[in-house]
Amino acid sequence: MHLAVYVLRRLAYMLVALFGVSLIAFVVTRVLPGNPAYMIVGVMADETTVAAVTERLGLDLPIHEQYFRYVQQLASGDLGDSWRTRNPVTTDIGARWPATIELGTTALILALAWSVPFGIISALRRRSISDRLANFISGLGVSIPEFWLGLILLLFFFGAKEWAPAPIRPLLEWAPAPIGRTLGSPPAHTTGLFTVDAVLARDWEAFRTAAHQLILPAATLALVVGAPLLRVTRGFMRETMSSHHIRSARALGVPERSIVLRHALPNVLLPVSTMVAIMYGYLLGGTVLVEFVFAWPGIGKYAIDSISASDFAPVLAAVLLSALSYLVVYLVMDILHFMIDPRTRT
Amino acid sequence: MTGRPASPVTESPPLLDIENLTVGFRTGRETASIPLQGVNLRVPRATRMALVGESGSGKSLTAAAVIGMLPKGAEILAGSIRLDGEEMLGASKQRIRDLRGRQIAIMFQNPRASLNPVLTVGGQIAEVIRTHSDAGRRESRRQAIDLLDQMGVSDARRRAGDYVHQYSGGMAQRAALAMALSCRPDLLIADEPTTGLDATLQQQVLELVVEQVATRGASLLLITHDIAIARQTCERTAVMYAGRVMESGPTASVTERPANPYTGALLRAFATVDEGRMYAIPGTVPTLLGPLSECPFANRCPDVADECRDIEDREVACVKA
Repeated sequence: MHLAVYVLRRLAYMLVALFGVSLIAFVVTRVLPGNPAYMIVGVMADETTVAAVTERLGLDLPIHEQYFRYVQQLASGDLGDSWRTRNPVTTDIGARWPATIELGTTALILALAWSVPFGIISALRRRSISDRLANFISGLGVSIPEFWLGLILLLFFFGAKEWAPAPIRPLLEWAPAPIGRTLGSPPAHTTGLFTVDAVLARDWEAFRTAAHQLILPAATLALVVGAPLLRVTRGFMRETMSSHHIRSARALGVPERSIVLRHALPNVLLPVSTMVAIMYGYLLGGTVLVEFVFAWPGIGKYAIDSISASDFAPVLAAVLLSALSYLVVYLVMDILHFMIDPRTRT
Repeated sequence: MTGRPASPVTESPPLLDIENLTVGFRTGRETASIPLQGVNLRVPRATRMALVGESGSGKSLTAAAVIGMLPKGAEILAGSIRLDGEEMLGASKQRIRDLRGRQIAIMFQNPRASLNPVLTVGGQIAEVIRTHSDAGRRESRRQAIDLLDQMGVSDARRRAGDYVHQYSGGMAQRAALAMALSCRPDLLIADEPTTGLDATLQQQVLELVVEQVATRGASLLLITHDIAIARQTCERTAVMYAGRVMESGPTASVTERPANPYTGALLRAFATVDEGRMYAIPGTVPTLLGPLSECPFANRCPDVADECRDIEDREVACVKA
């Protein structure tokens, strides 16, 4: 009851936010110099052809009318067409977003797996070796640019050792199905996440190659995303462990195991989960630099390729998708909090 | 049942016996200050004892030492703490954890912060019960509800499932008391339990603490800065100043015929308006950077004499008493 009203209100805010994002992104793409019509027909084309294409694209209309047309289009679920790939943008995104989701989700799981336990342990043992190590690694993670880290990892694991596969440059970049994620043929399509599809199809060879391709970019992002998570976890854990209620529980003989796992941990995970949502929203929107370095055919790479080709519709779609990812992840996290945290219930 | 034998005629050891407790804080390798300078305190069985003193006198630090939870950087330099004849200093962590809650329990000020915000109040009490007994989930929960009921929490069955943010300050202190008393400790330490509560609630909570401690035949060590509270609730009173117990004895004697000039000054400061002005003890509490060789009150004492300046080999109290 309470929750339903809350969710409805949040969905309304979400629409407003998306509207704002689309407006800003639209204006920015339109005021950029360069007429995409030239890119389509080539600079050698004659004036009348260019004018015809310009008119077909609606680029001769005043900007507010162009925007109005765009929103109308959006309302009917049409994100426009990409002249670069010659596909409807929805088709392109449908083919690429799974790659981003797969990479982002794997990275988040890896990040959580190392950063949260590490953060808790280093908070419990201040100034121990593990605390210092945590400090060092999270320091690296927050200060190293992700593309540079990606390159270093490539250089070491592929260049020097050949433990990891080279990033496969997709031969047909404009092909609707991204083919840069496995060496062989992709597994039977169910979810679009190659590793998941491979498991579903019990195709272990495909799983191995898909996971092999995934591991380096996911590890890169896991370090970058895990570092702030570690810091936040450690901070909240320290704070909680020195709180009055922990002191009281200790003073009544509650064993240390229960102090950490039952008394402290829930108090830490609630705020940390907010940070997790921020990170996941970021990952789902496509991590441009890492996707670019590893030739990962996801949304980030799609966006950057489209920007360099003055291909407006995909750029706008990528921006909207990124905003939508954030908003949806936040909403889901808030609903979870609403259900888990007793303080929000009354 | 844990009915305690009536105190035998022969001298039995006091329930809590603190002797010459000296605690220092260190920065790096050096001891930077000595906030407890040889505290002597005896709490007999089934007795309510007040530990009175101004802020910084070392009351709470004494309590922390007794439950083995000194703050970081503090270390025990000398002395002994015996609980029911058993030396606590140097006891194993396991032993101390076992005694906490079961033989000695503590409740702090700010009850709402003393309870975990994400666990139910009843669940927290039940966990303490399970920690120290064989009771299962159902049984410990039943006992927790019983305890809340005894502490005057109405509709205890429902309230046990509530969280602390749903409790008022007074209710939360009742719950904290239920938790502290859940395993029938012999000694309850209450560290400023009513600070922050309004006057009526303060009265109610104090009465409840006294009543519940008495029914269980336990002892109470009530830490307070308010000598009026001591007078009203405790049979015995110890007055602390600058890391020492200046005077202790039956509350009536201590407050009516103070033997130590500090107690006298403290009483005057708490007495109601005197000729239109409040009395304040001149000067400030000394900073205890090292061991003192003179009476810590010497610089503020109205009756200071030469011999007050050299008490090195003496148990403090007052040379004039």
